[in-house]
Amino acid sequence: MLELKNVYKKFDGKTVLDGISLQIHNGEIISMLGPSGSGKTTLLNIILGLTAMDSGTLIFEGMDISKVSMKDRGFNIVFQDYALFPNLNAYQNIVYGLKNKPGVVNKQELDELIDFLELGPHLVKRIDQLSGGQKQRVALARTLATKPKILLLDEPLSALDGVIKETIKERIKAITKKYKLTTIIVTHDPEEALTMSDKVLIIDKGNISQYGTPKQVIHAPENNFVEEFILRQLQIKRDNIYQLFKECHV
Amino acid sequence: MFNRRLEAQIVFWAIAIFFIAFLAAPLMTLLVNSLNTGAGTGISNYIQVLGDKSMLGAIANSIHVSVIAAMITTILAFTLAYAVNCTNIGKGLKRIITIGISIPMLLPTITYGFAIIYSFGKQGLLTKLFGMELFQIYGFNGLLMGYVIYTLPSAFLLLNNSFGYIDKKFIIVSTLMGDGFLRSFMNTILRPLIGTLGGAFVLSFILSFTDFGIPASVGGTYSVIATQLYQVMLGTIPDFNHGSVIAVFMLVPAVFGVVFLHYLEKFNFHYETFTISDLPENRLRDLSFGMLSIVTVAAMVSVFLVMFIAPVVKNYPYDMSFTVQFLQSALFSGTLVEVYENSVLVALVSAGLGTVISYSAAIINVRTAMDKSVKMTIDLFAMITNTIPGMVLGLAYLLLFNSSDLKGTFLIIVVCNIIHFFTTPYLMAKNSLAKLNPAWETTGELMGDTWIKTIVRVIIPNSIATIVEMFGYYFINAMVTISAIIFLVTARTAVVTSKIKELQHFASFNEIFVLSILIFVTNISVKICCDLIHQESASQ
Repeated sequence: MLELKNVYKKFDGKTVLDGISLQIHNGEIISMLGPSGSGKTTLLNIILGLTAMDSGTLIFEGMDISKVSMKDRGFNIVFQDYALFPNLNAYQNIVYGLKNKPGVVNKQELDELIDFLELGPHLVKRIDQLSGGQKQRVALARTLATKPKILLLDEPLSALDGVIKETIKERIKAITKKYKLTTIIVTHDPEEALTMSDKVLIIDKGNISQYGTPKQVIHAPENNFVEEFILRQLQIKRDNIYQLFKECHV
Repeated sequence: MFNRRLEAQIVFWAIAIFFIAFLAAPLMTLLVNSLNTGAGTGISNYIQVLGDKSMLGAIANSIHVSVIAAMITTILAFTLAYAVNCTNIGKGLKRIITIGISIPMLLPTITYGFAIIYSFGKQGLLTKLFGMELFQIYGFNGLLMGYVIYTLPSAFLLLNNSFGYIDKKFIIVSTLMGDGFLRSFMNTILRPLIGTLGGAFVLSFILSFTDFGIPASVGGTYSVIATQLYQVMLGTIPDFNHGSVIAVFMLVPAVFGVVFLHYLEKFNFHYETFTISDLPENRLRDLSFGMLSIVTVAAMVSVFLVMFIAPVVKNYPYDMSFTVQFLQSALFSGTLVEVYENSVLVALVSAGLGTVISYSAAIINVRTAMDKSVKMTIDLFAMITNTIPGMVLGLAYLLLFNSSDLKGTFLIIVVCNIIHFFTTPYLMAKNSLAKLNPAWETTGELMGDTWIKTIVRVIIPNSIATIVEMFGYYFINAMVTISAIIFLVTARTAVVTSKIKELQHFASFNEIFVLSILIFVTNISVKICCDLIHQESASQ
């Protein structure tokens, strides 16, 4: 279990995170949802260990990891733009971390991972020869090959187009189930958040607006912000789609 | 980034100490020397130097000829850049202009002077061609011509780069709005470029004002500040204090120039986006600018033509039958080959070490979370090295290291080159590193890399094209420089450019040209190699 207690962060005198406290259970998929500037990416970076918090505590499996360095926390992230190394091909990217820690994943596990992400045919390709979805899968494979204790995903679907988006969504869900991996996703898209995760953390101006299951968010929005900015958007989308299909069927 | 990366700290301090020892300390020594009157500290040296009529005359001459050269250069560079960027002349011709104009960069400035003498002198190649002596070359005319040739490539590159950022769509809009050529030209070309034009002028002025090679060869009795400094320091009675004062005088306009360049940047337009679009048809424009550029480039190249002819004929210009006798004797004479080897050695080591240092400095600045003050310090070093004229730096080294073990070594020449040419490679690296994905170091660290390991495994392989470019810049400049090293070479550590200066006294022009050809061939080979590697790695 990962527990955040009273996490505060200021940038240049401006409060970005105003005392965040929450618990994430093992194997859960959590989405952090909020508009740009809400502090969700900062919170992700604090959990990762990239950004230091001003005050507060991070507890993982009963241990205080607030002062533990990024490297020693054992979490890992897939960045929005994937940050794949263009001087290496797909396979070399995937095994990049194994050069440093050879024993983490054995040959069989690695092959299984590559199979599972359907990367077999693309292994010798250069990064710029891969499509967006393939890059995403290579980045996922590279991160998963380090067997992270928590998987962080920064806007994992934002760079992908329509159909790919839906398949990657399913893939991410399948991975977390298969590896029983605690996963934290940052997104600004309510639809993404509510369809992918076990729980949704809605952040507004550095505060938790609501933290609950997608059902709770939809049926029992706790405040105006959730209603206005999260639900309203989904309702418009739903109505538009209904409208479209109605017209088509008539 | 909880632990302020120790490796980065160490690299930064190593760089800082290097710059303190080889930039700040020598400059301080220079300043102290200029104020040292023998009877304590004071400004009497300055008063003495300023009281010297010949010195004042030299400063006035320097300003006079540099201003006129800068004006001509700016106009020519603009014409050429306009032809390349805003006309529909053929792609091939544009390439020829761009390449042709950069040829002088591959040669030392001292060679320009001798090429001018052999082209326009009484028996010059072009004099023969025209059937008469066009003008008196020694002194003002020769200097002017040399300075224009010397500064044209840099001014052209600057303007050509700025032209790339001008949105050509505005030219089309202006044409559609019914503007005539002049109004369209003023609004869409001249106005957006006014800052860069000022920059090109200032740059040309500084380069001319501080150059030593051209006045050394073609200056004649027309004395300028650079030749005055040389005479005071290496004349019969060297005067270190007066030399320091002259160096300070040389430094002052350069400082103002660099400050002014920064100020001019404000005038540059920054278009949000720009698209490549076709230009409106205008045959007259294309024809006139096409002709003008061909004439300019041809004129420039023709000045250097003699350099390749003189050493392969029996007795230039009287007996023009072909011979390899001079080439042979020069290439098999131990001394010339030795200075050539010295030059290549110095250039290689300068390029190697210089690239490492400027690349490391850029890494610290762009790709670490070090304090702002650290980054500003490095930028400050780069700004200072950009400001200090080569002769001033060389003199400062002479003053500080004269009694040390460094005196008369290759190392001091190498260090001087590294500092003198630091700015451009540093900025190249900074630009290129800033474009790389900012998450790579974090990713590497999460994959178990140390910081250094990520630099080696990811950052360096992905900026190899830039590293090659930096190396090429350092190498070529180290090969051609004379102003920075003229005070530092000894008989044992003579390099090609200083040897040329020495051969001048014996009027051994064949040897001078053979050495120049060697530099040229070496530089062009290095340039082609670098370009090929650059293309190769850029296309991957």
